[in-house]
Amino acid sequence: MHLPFSYGPIRPIQAASPWRRLFVVAALLAGLASAPALGKTAVVLNSDDDSLSVIDTETYKETARTHIGRQPHHLIMSPDGQNLIIAMAEGNELVFIDRPTGEIKQHVEASDPYQVGFSPDAKWFVTTSLRLDRIDIYNAADYQVVFRLAAPKMPSHIGFSPDSGTVYVTLQGSDRLTAVDLATGKPKWTVPVGPQPAGVFVRPSGTILVGVMGADYVAEVDPKDGSVIGRIHTDRGAHNFLLSPDGKTLYVSNRVAGTISVLDAETLAVNKTLPAPGGPDDMALSPNGDELWATGRWRASVDVIELASGNLKTKVPVGRSPHGIFVY
Amino acid sequence: MVDHLLWLIAQIQGAIFEAAVQPVLYQLGIMDWSEDVFDGLEFALYGAIAVALAFILFRPLELWRPVERWGERRAVRTDVVYTLVHRLGIVPAIIFLLLTPIGATIDSYLRFKGYIPPRVEQLIPGLTGWPFITFLVYIVLIDLGEYWRHRLQHRLSWWWALHSLHHDQRQMTLWTDDRNHILDDILASVWGGTIALAIGVTPAEFPLVMIAFRLVESLSHTNVRVGFGRFGSVLLVGPQYHRVHHAIDHARPPFARTMGCNFAVILPIWDVIFGTWRRDAAFPRTGVAMLAGPEVRCGYLRHQLEGFRRLGAALAHLADRRRPGFIAAFSRPQPRPQQIRSTVAG
Repeated sequence: MHLPFSYGPIRPIQAASPWRRLFVVAALLAGLASAPALGKTAVVLNSDDDSLSVIDTETYKETARTHIGRQPHHLIMSPDGQNLIIAMAEGNELVFIDRPTGEIKQHVEASDPYQVGFSPDAKWFVTTSLRLDRIDIYNAADYQVVFRLAAPKMPSHIGFSPDSGTVYVTLQGSDRLTAVDLATGKPKWTVPVGPQPAGVFVRPSGTILVGVMGADYVAEVDPKDGSVIGRIHTDRGAHNFLLSPDGKTLYVSNRVAGTISVLDAETLAVNKTLPAPGGPDDMALSPNGDELWATGRWRASVDVIELASGNLKTKVPVGRSPHGIFVY
Repeated sequence: MVDHLLWLIAQIQGAIFEAAVQPVLYQLGIMDWSEDVFDGLEFALYGAIAVALAFILFRPLELWRPVERWGERRAVRTDVVYTLVHRLGIVPAIIFLLLTPIGATIDSYLRFKGYIPPRVEQLIPGLTGWPFITFLVYIVLIDLGEYWRHRLQHRLSWWWALHSLHHDQRQMTLWTDDRNHILDDILASVWGGTIALAIGVTPAEFPLVMIAFRLVESLSHTNVRVGFGRFGSVLLVGPQYHRVHHAIDHARPPFARTMGCNFAVILPIWDVIFGTWRRDAAFPRTGVAMLAGPEVRCGYLRHQLEGFRRLGAALAHLADRRRPGFIAAFSRPQPRPQQIRSTVAG
């Protein structure tokens, strides 16, 4: 089911009001812009604390924590690299932060945005509402809702086909993966892929990898019809994905086991298992690629793992239930 | 220091979750519930802290200057059960499972119609960037909502049938705050959910302050001869102020339940504004004069069943108004109200 975008007072991008500029920006600047240098900064969203932690990636210390909005879960860099977009699920808004300066630029009203994603061609912006069983498809040029789909139950992570024609969304509460045609806003197929599927990663070949959180494997799915064509055993609670910048390594966080599996992105062979205690979720690599950072949902900490040795280097205490992470 | 304390609590929460809860969810194949259960565990943990603090802080007060002394405290033990099943999350979990699908369906429908619940920061210019003040505004607005819910609990006969379970306690102590019928709790959740649709949900970043407000609610029921004075009693609901609300003589003229007084939960200013403030320095006995039967001194489950019985009787009376004679076949002789002293000798 979908509706055309002629309904409701969905607001277009609005410039920040003077009040916001005076107070919110000041609060955020206290965190981001006064950090040692943005090049040495990691940003973590504390979803149960309504806050954003700023971490100095050289000292591994939280240098600031600031209120950011109601229930921030995920963030994403805009396709032009100019903005960080933070999705506030309970706050019903997207907050645009100027990436180079850390200044809040805009607030955009959005309905319960939990996960967010841009299509590869930067034409579409998609959000999922885990709580309300909705997928919202926006025109990425002006953030106007184009389609709003019912997607029971618990639509969670997002992936796109390489041609930007299809968005794949895991339905965590109904053990399925759904493929939605972006041009029409209509589902193409919705099929079971394993218990409580979470993360989605689309390979260059087009096959889809799904982290199966209720089991200990990643399912490989055929994009034509959603059939499961392979299973790669990682560890209990396979959850989310991160591809290295060179495209050779794929990291999989295993939430129940408290580990991160290191896969060859080409062969999908598991080469190593790294310790990541505390319910690892979203991940990011340090700019030099030496460290893997993972948010520990259950322990209010960020795990920093030294990739060369495979050891847990340190845990950085942050706010409650850290979820999204971005390393400058 | 606050951040360190919160982090320490989060470590305890995480350790319990990883060692005892998450493996069960994984084995049962319900990992999609993990975040809700994790939040529920946090609720229980903060609830346990609030209960422990209430006991440590207020039980000595009850021993020091009690308003009433009882030789037998069986009725208090029932309230202890009420407190534990509420604050450790058992009853809230049941209500969550019952109401969340309904609430989400309504919320989702409204989104389809283009309605997105606003936040107080949007409704009141200038609040953005002041999270703690925003939080306090939410507390004030929700307390206003609670005041009017409480008024209706006393005003509507069928709702009073449920709420009278809270009031029929003759041994009111720090444990009495959560003594409510489960249907009454469900109605409270529906009430709160409706307010949330209008103003958004309360910010989650001040859990320790939330504990402080729960302590105020426990203190207001504490069996202690303490008042907050002439000015203090206008600022914050205290034991003497709330005891007057629970006074046994309010259940009969001239203070019939529909008249009542001192309905406020946290902020007495609502009673002042809406004309229900009663300045009274007395420490009255508590209870409901019309309910003198032995059933008010029973255990948790019998007490809950008694609530259903009272609700049924109230609904029957409402039906009888429309169709006289409706309850004639079902009525039974009512015990005569006992003569009870309404105040305690100071």
